[in-house]
Amino acid sequence: MTNHPSRGDRPVEPLVFEKHVAGAYGVDFPPLDVPETPVPHRVAGSGVPLPSIGQHDVMAHYTHLSDRNFSVDGNFYPLGSCTMKHNPRINEWAASLPGFSCLHPLQDEDCIQGALRLLYETRTMLEEISGLHEVSLQPAAGAHGEFTALKVIRAFFTDHGQPQRTVVLAPDTAHGTNPASCTMCGASVKQVRTIDGHTDLEHLQEVIAEVGPENVAAFMITNPSTAGLFDPSIKEMAEIVHGAGAKVYLDGANMNALLGRVKPGDFGADAMHYNTHKTFSTPHGGGGPGSGPIAVTEELAPYLPVPQVMMADDGSFYLDRDREKSIGKVRSFFGQFGVLVRCWTYISACGPEGLRHVAETAVLNANYLAVRLQEVYDMPYFAPEKGAFCAHEFVSVPQTLLDKGVTLIDIAKRMIDYGVHPPTMHWPIHDCLMVEPTETESKHALDQFVDVMLQIANEIDQEIACVKNAPLVSDIARADEVGAARKPVLVWND
Amino acid sequence: MDYTQITDAQHEEMLSIIGIDHVDRLFDVIPESIRCQEGLDLSPPQSELELQRSLTEMASHNVGAHNMVCFMGCGAYDHFYPALIDQLISRGEFLTSYTPYQAEASQGTLQAFFEFQTQIAQVTGLEIANSSLYDGATAVAEAAILAVNTTRRHTVLVASTMHPEYLAVLRTCLADLHVNITMLTATNGKVLPETVREEMSDDIAAVIVQSPNIWGQIEDWDGCFEVTHEDAKTLAVAVFNPIACGLLKTPGECGADLAAGEGQPLGNALNFGGPYLGLLAAKEKFVRKMPGRLVGMTKDEDGRRVFCLTLQTREQHIRGAKATSNVCTNQGLIALRASMFMTTVGREGLTEVASHCWHKAHYLAEQITAIDGWELTFDGDFFNEFTVNCPVDVTHIVDSGKERGVLVGVAANGRRMRKLSEGNELIIAVTEKRTRHEMDALVSLLKELST
Repeated sequence: MTNHPSRGDRPVEPLVFEKHVAGAYGVDFPPLDVPETPVPHRVAGSGVPLPSIGQHDVMAHYTHLSDRNFSVDGNFYPLGSCTMKHNPRINEWAASLPGFSCLHPLQDEDCIQGALRLLYETRTMLEEISGLHEVSLQPAAGAHGEFTALKVIRAFFTDHGQPQRTVVLAPDTAHGTNPASCTMCGASVKQVRTIDGHTDLEHLQEVIAEVGPENVAAFMITNPSTAGLFDPSIKEMAEIVHGAGAKVYLDGANMNALLGRVKPGDFGADAMHYNTHKTFSTPHGGGGPGSGPIAVTEELAPYLPVPQVMMADDGSFYLDRDREKSIGKVRSFFGQFGVLVRCWTYISACGPEGLRHVAETAVLNANYLAVRLQEVYDMPYFAPEKGAFCAHEFVSVPQTLLDKGVTLIDIAKRMIDYGVHPPTMHWPIHDCLMVEPTETESKHALDQFVDVMLQIANEIDQEIACVKNAPLVSDIARADEVGAARKPVLVWND
Repeated sequence: MDYTQITDAQHEEMLSIIGIDHVDRLFDVIPESIRCQEGLDLSPPQSELELQRSLTEMASHNVGAHNMVCFMGCGAYDHFYPALIDQLISRGEFLTSYTPYQAEASQGTLQAFFEFQTQIAQVTGLEIANSSLYDGATAVAEAAILAVNTTRRHTVLVASTMHPEYLAVLRTCLADLHVNITMLTATNGKVLPETVREEMSDDIAAVIVQSPNIWGQIEDWDGCFEVTHEDAKTLAVAVFNPIACGLLKTPGECGADLAAGEGQPLGNALNFGGPYLGLLAAKEKFVRKMPGRLVGMTKDEDGRRVFCLTLQTREQHIRGAKATSNVCTNQGLIALRASMFMTTVGREGLTEVASHCWHKAHYLAEQITAIDGWELTFDGDFFNEFTVNCPVDVTHIVDSGKERGVLVGVAANGRRMRKLSEGNELIIAVTEKRTRHEMDALVSLLKELST
C-alpha cells in the first residue's frame, strides 16, 4: 500500500520503516578492544525496534525527501515575519570548524578562550545594534527570549517591591508567542486595540487605567508592527508605558527593517529579543535551531540569566556565574553556540554600513513589490501617494479577488504550482497575505514574483478552476489537515 | 558583503517606480529624534577570505575533543557519527526551509519529522513523541509543566541526582507558576523507591527521575515509578539518554508516562553546548497536552499518503495565552540529524554503540579502581559514565590531564556543576570512540599523579 501512484509519476517516498531489512546496516564499528562485562538482567532492556537500512539507501532516502521541500535556496520564500533571507555558506563553514564544534561545554575557561571571545564579541555587537546596555545570549529561540526577558522584568519589579505587576499588555496583532510566553511567566495578558495596523494610544491608556497602572509589568510591541508598518508614535507609546511605571518590551522579529537606522533603546525599549535566524541569516533548518538573544537596559541587567560572558582587565574572557539577582538559567550551558557563530560571521561580513544597507534594501524591495501589486492585490495600509509606505513587509487583503469566488488558500496553493512559497496567511489580520521579500532577492526574482501573482489574478478571471483546484503540479494535492487533527497518527505502526 | 543584490541602477529604477527620489523617503515616518544620527560602532566588514582567516584564528585558541582525548560527559558526549550526516544535512532543501506550515511545499521535512517522532517513540518505548524541543533541560521543564497542567496539582518530586543544569532550568521555568519542587534525596548515589513513597502526597503532579543520573548511576525507574503510580494521577517522568536505550530498559519498559531527554548523543557534535536537541515522548493519552510541533499522517485529496503539522490548536500561533507552551521554532535540523543517525546505525547499531560504551566504561572503571587509593564513589550499576573518589586534589588531576592532552572528566565540585558536591569526585564518561590505548594512557596518568 506504500506506493500510491503520484502526480508526475513520482512514487510516494516510503517511510524508513517500510524500507527496513533485518540485518542491514548503514555504518560499521571497529571490533571491541576491551573484555566484555556482562549486563545484569536487572538493568538490561529488550532492544529498540528501529529500522535498519544500508548506506546507499540512507542517502537515497534523505535525498528523495529533500527533493520534496521548498527552500530559500531554491524558491522565492516571502514568508512574512519570518525574514527568509539568504543563508551564506561561510556561516556554515565557520560553525563546523572543529575548534568550535568539538568543544565540550564544561571545559575549563583557559581551553576555550576563542569561543568565549566570539561570544563576548557577539554580545557587544548585539548591544550596539540594540542601543541597550547588556545582552544575554542564552535563550534558544525568539519565544524563549520573550519568556526570559519577561522573567527579567518580573524579577526587577519583585525586587523593587512591586510583585503585583503581573499584567502584560500586547496589541491585538501580536505574535502568538507573546501571550503564550506571558502565561509561562505567570503573567496575564490584556489586549490593546490597533487601528490600521497601529496601536490605538487612547485604548492603551484606557487599558492601563482599567487594570491599574500599578499592576502593569510591560507592553509588548513589535516595531515595525506585525502589519509591516513603522509606528510613528512609538515614542509617545513608550512614554505612556513608562508613565505607568511599566517597561516596554520589543519583539525583535522585525529588526531587519531597523538595522543601523533605529536603535530600539533610542525609542524607549527596555528589553527586546532578537531572532538570529531572521535578522542575522542563520538558517531556519525546517524549524530550528534558532537563537533568541535578549538585550536590556542597565536597571534590568542584574536580573539576566547566568552565566554571562565577560572580558577581564587583562583581555581574557570568563563566564560570570555570580549574579545574585539573576533569574537563574533558562537553558543548559550557554545557549545555541553554533548558531551564534553564524550570527557573528554574518554581522562581521556586513559591517556597520552593510547592516544599514540591509535594512534599506529590505524596505525598498517590499515597497517595490507592493507598488507593483497594489492595483490587483488590495492593501489596506499601503498608500504611497499619501506617503503611507510599508516597512520590510506588507499586508494584502485581496478582497477584489476573493469576491470572484476563490479563497486565500486557493491563491496560496496556486503559488506553490509556480514554485513560490506562499506568504504568511491569515495573520496579523484575517484573510490576508503578508509578504516579506527580504533584501537578498534580486530584482529579477522580485519581478518574477510579480508576474506569478498577476498571472494568478488573471487565472481567477479566465480559468478559475486551476486556482480552485491548486496545487495541480506539486507532488501532492491538498492535504486533509482536518482529518489529521481529528484522528491524530503521529507515529508509524505496521 | 551584505548579500544584497540590487545594483545602483536597479535601485534608482525601483525608486522611480515607487515614485520617490530617495530611499530615505521610506523611513520618513520614523520620527527624527529616534533615528540613528551616527553609524553603528562595529568593526568594518570582512570579506569571506578575511572571515576564514579570523575565524580560523579564533577557533585555534580553543582545544577540545578534536585535539584532546575526551572523557567528559555530564550531559554532553563525544560520540561518533557517520560522515554522511554532515553531507545530507547541508542540503539547502533541508537547511534553508522553514517550519512546514504549507504541507504541499514541505513533504520532505514533514515526513522526516514523522519518522523522527516514530524513532523517538521506538527508542523510549512510549507511544508518541513530538518533533523536538530546545534541549534536555527545557524538555524536562516542559514535561513538568505538562504534568502540572494535566493533574492540576502543584508539586513535583525531583531526584536530587538529576543534572544540576536541568534542575536550574526547571526552577526558573516553574518559579512563576506556583509549583513547588521537592527534592528526592539520594542514598548511595540513587533515589530509593522508599524515598519516593515518603514524599508522596495528594498534590504530586509528577515524579522526575533521571537515569543514568548525573553520577552515571542507573536509577531504579521500575521501583520509583511503581510507587509513583500508587497514586493514579501522578505522572512518572523518565529523564533518559537515548543511547542507553539501545542496551538498558527503556522509559516505557519501566512504566514511565513521559520521557524527556537530551538528544545530543544522536549524531550531533558537542558544539560547546548548543544547538542541542530536546526529546519528549509520552503515552498517547497526553497527545493534546504536548508542547511543540507535531506531525501527523493524513491523506491528500487524491487519497495519497501525506504528512502535515497537526493539533495546531494546542499551539501559540492559534491559541495564544492558552497554548500548551510558547514554543514556536524548535530544533528541526538537529532532530533531522538525530533521525539520520538512528536510520544509519539501525537497531543493531544502536545496541552496538551502547554495548561498546558499557564495556569500555566498565573496563576503565576496573583499571582505575585497581590503582591504590582510587575507588568508585557508588557501588550501583552504571552505563557509560561513573564517579570515582580521587586520592589527590581533583583540580590537580584535571589540570595535569590538560597538559597531557586529556580531558579527564568533570570535577563534581566545580562551579560549572553548580556545587553538586563539596568532595573530590571525578565523573568520567566513556563513549565508543575511546580506545583501549587511550584508556590505558589515562590509567597510567592517574597512577603517576597518585604516587
